[in-house]
Amino acid sequence: MKRLFAAGPIWPLVAVFIVAIWAAGVSLTGVSRALLPSPVLVADAMRELIDDGVLAKHVRVSVVRLVWGFALSTALALIVAFAFARVALLRRIVEPPLEFLRQIPPLAMIPLLILWLGIGEAQKIGIITLACFFPIFLGTTGGIAQCDPKLIEVGRVSGLSETEILRRIVLPSALPSVVIGLRIALGQGWRALVGAELVASSAGLGYMIEDAQNLARTDIVVVGVIVIGTLGLATDWLFRRAIAAAWPWVRVEHGAETHA
Amino acid sequence: MLECRGVSKTYRLKDRAVAALREFDLALPPGSFTVLVGPSGCGKTTALRLLAGLETPTGGTIARSAGDTRVGYVFQEPRLMPWLSVARNVGFALEGRMAKPEIAKRVADILDVIGLHDFAQARPDQLSGGMASRAGLARALVTKPELLLLDEPFAALDAMTRRRLQSELVTLWQCFRPTIVFVTHDIEEAVLLGDEIFLMENGLIAERFANPILRPRDPTDPEIVRLRRAIIAGFEAGEARKTRTPKESTQ
Repeated sequence: MKRLFAAGPIWPLVAVFIVAIWAAGVSLTGVSRALLPSPVLVADAMRELIDDGVLAKHVRVSVVRLVWGFALSTALALIVAFAFARVALLRRIVEPPLEFLRQIPPLAMIPLLILWLGIGEAQKIGIITLACFFPIFLGTTGGIAQCDPKLIEVGRVSGLSETEILRRIVLPSALPSVVIGLRIALGQGWRALVGAELVASSAGLGYMIEDAQNLARTDIVVVGVIVIGTLGLATDWLFRRAIAAAWPWVRVEHGAETHA
Repeated sequence: MLECRGVSKTYRLKDRAVAALREFDLALPPGSFTVLVGPSGCGKTTALRLLAGLETPTGGTIARSAGDTRVGYVFQEPRLMPWLSVARNVGFALEGRMAKPEIAKRVADILDVIGLHDFAQARPDQLSGGMASRAGLARALVTKPELLLLDEPFAALDAMTRRRLQSELVTLWQCFRPTIVFVTHDIEEAVLLGDEIFLMENGLIAERFANPILRPRDPTDPEIVRLRRAIIAGFEAGEARKTRTPKESTQ
């Protein structure tokens, strides 16, 4: 993973190798196309889905949901984390219920969210928000807690107010762990999204997979899997690029923590 | 004028109280250069932190003359924000307080004075130890402080860089005339820099030395050597007292 994008030439080879094994396995064992279609069949299905615009539609629906949920949970998590840092009493009141909520897998909340928010976009975005909130919240809280008190003293002797210290010293120094939280959240968000779309949905990549399964179109299921994986990698890569451009002092680790 | 009267600071550790500073009296006329010298744990840093308002005294009063006294503080380590350029670190205390072009001008001026002009856009981790110390000094000077507090700012530097920064500090003081309180454990440094030197021990001022020797001061000058000997003698007398009354004095 580490060299995947940094050193370029290795990962296409790995991809070709995996596809080759897949193709060879399918043709040698003669396994039914309903169980595992060959790469060629999957490529055909993908071309078909691209040509009639179905894939683009599902991707758009999923990505829009993810962006909304991710943005919403980022805003919420940052606000709550910084409010906790500012008001100790608030933290003591709100933290226990939050900790309770954190133990519950977002997918277990689907039935309740369907009851409360219906089966529309609000419910999907709600699931993603739940899934993204805690990684960002914990990353931010941890980053704030680890801020070097010596730098805060620099703020004190510079005559900064508590709010200014939070904004100009604590926030930037917490940024590296906020970023780790954001990357974990992005990965979690994808999972929750597809999970939410498998239930009570009429569009999105999860729905596409679920629908294909009902029609015994395993080739489309595989297309869905490939698209989800690729989009996940691509968003993480874009995300890292954006962070490297915006905050050059934040060293972004490659790989691993997206799937933590 | 800055005046401390009977200032004390006691830290509470679990079951006992530790007096870091006791009966601390100090009067600083504007533009004076005072050095607090003593071994580690003698309360000199505590005194400086009290003067800066980083700690509140347990007893006594610290009085500053009327008006908003601008304070500059130079820490033992440079303490630069790793996410800001040298220029923005230096202008840190000014940001949001005055117009950007004015900040830029002030920062550029001070970087010229301190010899970091070419490193304005560098990141702190690209600086050598001496340059980072200079940046920390520039950050304290940029507000044109009336009171400049320095806590062993050059202790971690090599002897040659330290010598250069010491004489630069004296030059800056002669130009801007802030009131300086300089904390060090290095007696030679104390004698080279200060006009008034307070030897500290166990949270008390043990002895006061006036240092009227003209600048530039040469460490091998007989008068300087004599003063150093006097301070060392005072320190050794204190050590002897301490061994006679073990530990009671810190309670």
